[in-house]
Amino acid sequence: MSGHSHADGVLPHEPEKATLEGRNKVLGFWLFLGGETVLFGTLFSVFIALRDQVNGGPTANELFSLTIVAIATLILLTSSLTSVFAIQAMHRNEPKAMVGWLLVTVLFGLAFLGLEIYEFVEYAHEGHTFAASAFSTSFYTLVGFHGGHVAFGILWISLLIWQVLRRGLTVVTAPKIYIAGLYWHFIDVVWVFIFTVVYLMGKVG
Amino acid sequence: MTAEHATAVEQPKKRVKHEGPKKHIIAYIFSLVLTILAFATVITGEVSVNFVYVMLVLMAGVQVFIQMAFWMHMKDRGHLFPIIGILSGVIIVFTMIIMAVYWAWW
Repeated sequence: MSGHSHADGVLPHEPEKATLEGRNKVLGFWLFLGGETVLFGTLFSVFIALRDQVNGGPTANELFSLTIVAIATLILLTSSLTSVFAIQAMHRNEPKAMVGWLLVTVLFGLAFLGLEIYEFVEYAHEGHTFAASAFSTSFYTLVGFHGGHVAFGILWISLLIWQVLRRGLTVVTAPKIYIAGLYWHFIDVVWVFIFTVVYLMGKVG
Repeated sequence: MTAEHATAVEQPKKRVKHEGPKKHIIAYIFSLVLTILAFATVITGEVSVNFVYVMLVLMAGVQVFIQMAFWMHMKDRGHLFPIIGILSGVIIVFTMIIMAVYWAWW
């Protein structure tokens, strides 16, 4: 198992690309992100088509509070930056700094998720429940799928932190951290379209 | 054999110079400014709905381009296949969005 003896040796530059397995993981993950794009695009197109079918319930303009959305946007954008810092710490071979930045990223993710749950509960109190209208169903499906991705990302990165603390930063663990970073950026990219299309365009009318 | 080959470590020929955080912070500031502009357009602007829509989509597009180029490293060398992978998804998405907008709003 010479591959694993390498894993304990000196960490190469850009450890996520140092092995064929690592490079394949990154490429495969990009193809997965292509599929994720299609998933979210489908949900966006459904939402765009159905967003005015409120069935007598509150409209987007009456419902949405831009303050909460702005705070959530700021949190997620900043968490995207802290995950960049984690990857840069990985490239400098500083596992402690990397774990620190990953922890900050996870905490921001939890804050975002908490805010989204609070928001959904508020909406439900105003009669905007999942089955209330075509607008509410397509809204919760789209934004909820994004929230589910955030929840999965929090779980995934937490497990990776645990693995790095146990096994160290190696050519085996580095590609995992790198693609988790890609995933987190992708979540933020999807959110840019959500706050634009769902919230801001909903406020405009 | 295959497993060993897959985990064989290749050291780059030259020492790679690590990039600093500077351009990532610049990307962050650009994203932040575009976000604030987008919210400000909606809060203050009573221009015309279509104009606001176009501005919002443009600002979102620029922000996503910046984040994908810098944070997801798509501007770096050796990213042809990632670009093909994500672009194939984007093409399908545009087809669907245009279809939904056409059917529902025209």
